[in-house]
Amino acid sequence: MIDLLWDNLDYAASMVLFCIGLYAVITRNNLIKKFMGLNIMETAIFAFIVALGVVDGGNAPIMGEGAAKPFINPLPQALILTGIVVAVSTTALALSLVIRIWRQCGTIEADELREAE
Amino acid sequence: MKRALTLVLLVALAAVLLNAVADLPPHGSPDTPAYTHVGAYYLENGSEETGSENIVTSIILNYRGFDTNGEVTVIVTALMAVIAVLTGVQDTGTQPDAEVIHVAPSVVVRFIVRVLAPFILVFAVYVILNGHVTPGGGFQGGTMLGALAIALTLVLGERESSRLLPQRSLRVIQVIAPLTFVAVGLAGLFIWGDYLFFPRDEKLRGFAEAMLVLIEAGIGIGGAVVFARVFRLMGGRQ
Repeated sequence: MIDLLWDNLDYAASMVLFCIGLYAVITRNNLIKKFMGLNIMETAIFAFIVALGVVDGGNAPIMGEGAAKPFINPLPQALILTGIVVAVSTTALALSLVIRIWRQCGTIEADELREAE
Repeated sequence: MKRALTLVLLVALAAVLLNAVADLPPHGSPDTPAYTHVGAYYLENGSEETGSENIVTSIILNYRGFDTNGEVTVIVTALMAVIAVLTGVQDTGTQPDAEVIHVAPSVVVRFIVRVLAPFILVFAVYVILNGHVTPGGGFQGGTMLGALAIALTLVLGERESSRLLPQRSLRVIQVIAPLTFVAVGLAGLFIWGDYLFFPRDEKLRGFAEAMLVLIEAGIGIGGAVVFARVFRLMGGRQ
């Protein structure tokens, strides 16, 4: 088990990062910190999927003069580029909602907001 | 109590995840299923079929062009949502009267940003326009442009920084990414009969490259304007 994990250290690291992000989402009270945790989770998934495409000794998947095999799998990179942009969009929307909550309620602590209801 | 419960839950989750990860094919081996199916096809034929030497760009804009078309729409939709949430609503006045502190950036910061700005601009334009032959593209270069606009907004002060975004053409320019994408897609529809069709003929390779560059430029400018606008809206500006 440990040997297998050591071979897949990149994957294991992203899983640990994912759990750290989830911990922040669950335990933090501040909404901005919650969204930071969400971003950490997203980053962990991105790192995991990009790591899936890595090939030992691979080159960047750019053809033309001097391009030599093996190439790194371009598909995960393309998919994650899409994912990063969507993550940025959701983060922008989430932060603007936090600003709106601050303006209307004067706090962004989750428990105080619950009491205010 | 809550923290201990969370820790137990997360340790259980981590055990499941790590167990699953240990069963995956070894990291970096060229025999993984992800590498041997469609990815190999793209590497083999991508350059000839799409006119883009960078296979990542050829996947984003050609093989999975519909996906990216939706993606640029997502950015603009996010901007629209941010505008809807943050503008046009009166403060209800329940917020504590925290003193608004205006700290002007130090001389060092202002000087460094002003000195670096032209170089960042040139590099961003280079990354945008060379996305089909080198690492980069519209999103990457657009992020740099947006970061430049944000840095200048922080440094320049209210009146000068509002000139960074052309107010009159802002309505068009902030949706320019989906607009150019759809325009290029419709060009393919009218000339060759398929939405987002890129010519594969060797003689028309230059034309296909021009279409790619046009889309990249649209994404770059549109993305940068969206990022800068979101930042300014969050700071209470327009």
